[in-house]
Amino acid sequence: MPSKHGLLELRAISKQFDGIPALRQVSLDLAPGQVHGLIGQNGAGKSTLIKVLGGIHRADEGEVVLGGKAVSINSPSDARRLGIEIVHQDRLLAPTLTVAEALLLGNEPTFGLLPVLNAARMRRFARTAVQEHFGIDIEPTRLIAELSVAEQQLVQITRALLSAPRVLVFDEPTAALARHEAEQLFAAIRRLRERGLAILYVSHYLDEIEALCDVVTVLRDGRDVARVLVADSTPQQLVAAMIGGSTAALVPASTRTAGAPLLRVCGLSAAARFEVVSFDVRRGEIVGVTGLLGSGGKAVVRSLFGLEPGVRGQIELDGTAYVPDDPRNAVRRGIAFVPEDRRAHGIALDLPVRENISLASLTRLVRHFMIDRRREKELVQQRMDDLQVRAPGTEAPARQLSGGNQQKVVLAKWLSTRANLYLLDEPTVGVDIRAKAEIYRVIDELAAQGAAVLLFSTDLIELQGITDRILVLARGALVQELVSKETTHQEILGWASAAGVGASPSASSSSSSSSSSSSSSSSSSSSSSSSSSSSTHDREVVQA
Amino acid sequence: MSQVQIKQSRGNVLALARSFKLPQWWLQSGALLAILAVLAVFAASSPLFFTVGNLANVMQQTAVIGTLAFGLTLVLIGGGANGIAGGIDLSIAANLGFCAAVYATSLANGLASPTAVALTLSAGTAVGVFNAFAVVVLRMLPLLATLTTMNIVAGLELVVTRNTTVSATGPTLAALLDNGPFAIPWLSYAFVGVGLMFVWLGHFTRFGLRLHASGSHPAAVRAAGLSTEGYVAASYVVCGLSAGIAALASTALLSGSAPGAGENLLAVIAAALLGVVFSRRLVPTVAGTWLSVVFLGLVANGFQLDNVSSYWISGVEGALILFVVSLTALLRRRNLEKRSHA
Repeated sequence: MPSKHGLLELRAISKQFDGIPALRQVSLDLAPGQVHGLIGQNGAGKSTLIKVLGGIHRADEGEVVLGGKAVSINSPSDARRLGIEIVHQDRLLAPTLTVAEALLLGNEPTFGLLPVLNAARMRRFARTAVQEHFGIDIEPTRLIAELSVAEQQLVQITRALLSAPRVLVFDEPTAALARHEAEQLFAAIRRLRERGLAILYVSHYLDEIEALCDVVTVLRDGRDVARVLVADSTPQQLVAAMIGGSTAALVPASTRTAGAPLLRVCGLSAAARFEVVSFDVRRGEIVGVTGLLGSGGKAVVRSLFGLEPGVRGQIELDGTAYVPDDPRNAVRRGIAFVPEDRRAHGIALDLPVRENISLASLTRLVRHFMIDRRREKELVQQRMDDLQVRAPGTEAPARQLSGGNQQKVVLAKWLSTRANLYLLDEPTVGVDIRAKAEIYRVIDELAAQGAAVLLFSTDLIELQGITDRILVLARGALVQELVSKETTHQEILGWASAAGVGASPSASSSSSSSSSSSSSSSSSSSSSSSSSSSSTHDREVVQA
Repeated sequence: MSQVQIKQSRGNVLALARSFKLPQWWLQSGALLAILAVLAVFAASSPLFFTVGNLANVMQQTAVIGTLAFGLTLVLIGGGANGIAGGIDLSIAANLGFCAAVYATSLANGLASPTAVALTLSAGTAVGVFNAFAVVVLRMLPLLATLTTMNIVAGLELVVTRNTTVSATGPTLAALLDNGPFAIPWLSYAFVGVGLMFVWLGHFTRFGLRLHASGSHPAAVRAAGLSTEGYVAASYVVCGLSAGIAALASTALLSGSAPGAGENLLAVIAAALLGVVFSRRLVPTVAGTWLSVVFLGLVANGFQLDNVSSYWISGVEGALILFVVSLTALLRRRNLEKRSHA
């Protein structure tokens, strides 16, 4: 019987980064023998909260109470000493070590005082430890690199359990697992619950929360907006709590009309990423692509710019065949790509705003083998006015701009190339509300001027607000096409999670319905919404 | 139900492991076959090749390069698989020259043998400490840091010897060249002893395991509450010490110190990298280095017996480095892709 008495309490934790609040007065109460779910959209503060618990970040305000006593967690080793272990999302195991070595790294047994590793004891210990906790047998001499992702995950959890923790935190542990592997993991977690551990389970998957958790806390904008018993709540309530109030004002009122098809994609496949995806994008149209992590949605958009190897299928661009094997070729064919990680791929931080904007269109600015500086200046100034880029001046290095304005510079660069097809990958991640609205307006204008836009996003408001149609991918397949005006957030989430990981029966029922109507048009969407809404999911699963 | 699923998943995993091991199996058994073939050719062409006397001679000849390669192997283990940013000690051969100069000069100046040995080992260790400082504290690229050290140390050698040959004699040197049991020189025994020490350090100690983990996945080591820096720094220091030890052997073999120690660098790197072929994990290992040192020694010896110019040796070593490094890089990439698709 789970005790109601809290083992670990977070009281009114606040944390700011550079003056921007990440956590505001968040409280959390973990009891022994209880699995506590933590959900929220990207940027809601989940990872910050975990890092505060794990001693990676220090809270600015608030206190942590463990077993009735206030404690301070200033480093990962503090957390470990207090009995708090975190199973990170990324597998922190050296691939070239054996299972036994990876498990015992840092606590290797030797022959007494003799400085020689006791390899036999390491193997015995590793075998029994995995067996005891998970009831499965992993050969201790196998290399970590030879294990499946799920087995690696189990080894990592076993590692965390070696120090006999009282609190165990799971940070999205199923992100890379197949369904049956996830079920293996859930069985293991339930076993740990019965042993009286206090477990915090962070996930994007609402059906996992339902299947596994006793209590769930919902974070939104750094606040704990709801704390409910899982048995007393519906997925709809949880989604509503995560999404919060309306943000309709963000989205421009559009007067676009779709023209002739510009891009025809037929049977596009890339090994282990996506399979036989087919769709059209018309001029003047904004088409959204979405899906959970590993769904292949992001890869589809990237592949069209020649960024994914081994892509097969037919693509027709503006009436002629197009082979997406090289970004240079893509640019030549009038395709522009705005990557998600603008710092890595989209913007040169040390170059001035001017050069960042004119970089992709220099050939048009050349006269007599020289760059026509006056025309360059005109072009840059015009773009900056169009997009309302707030910068100290055209010569200011891009580094000095805010994230939203940097993103506008990236957009301005591609705007100057007069591309036909814009591929946007999460264009508003990490951008403030006002810049978001301006970016939406620019995207809308691009389409209004006759360009076609393909937008990968996991932001439901963004998807529904600015796109005309939404292509939902799950596990590498295009499972549904939705008309943005007629759909709901719940429905998008439902389709995206239809083939997702989960143990609840509702998820499996919706996945069967999705396969039967996978490539059908939006006409079936209204009828399917009732079944899919029972297995709704948190929306953002793409890693930052 | 879940039992069945677990069994199924295991079956898939085993199939996967088998398929990704296959090319590796070809590489390893192919390398072994190639080595045996080379040895067979030498044995057939020269009746002297497989005699105890000749093999002991090979062990003696490889003592210098072997000892250096053991030290370098530790640095490679701690630096991980990355060819550019990973661990390397380019100064190791120059360090050998410097240490030999210190040893020969101090003997020539009448220092007692134990004092001279201590001085030599300290000189090598000091260079290692300098490298460790540059790599771990200053966070310089090992390639660049040790290249700089190489120049400094080569300069120091010239300062000590004034670019001349310094001949040295002493009881330690004489003892090393004397024959021990089975008419095998003590130097060969000493080399085997040093090799066993390094095998112990690399394969059977906490230090070895943690050093390996530091190279393989530093974040995992940090997550285990250990600091990678200490282990990586120690590998450079031990590498410097190995140059000091090798200097004793080199001084014995050459009866002093002579310029040109830096030419050993390619052979040392070849031996340490070639060892990767013998490792199940496709990482440098001390045992693998030992095998490849002996192999390279036998090749050099076979060339001598067959009257092939020794100039060919560096060509062979270079080709082997290219072959092994490119092939293992290819295999690692394959394994990585397999894993990300799994």
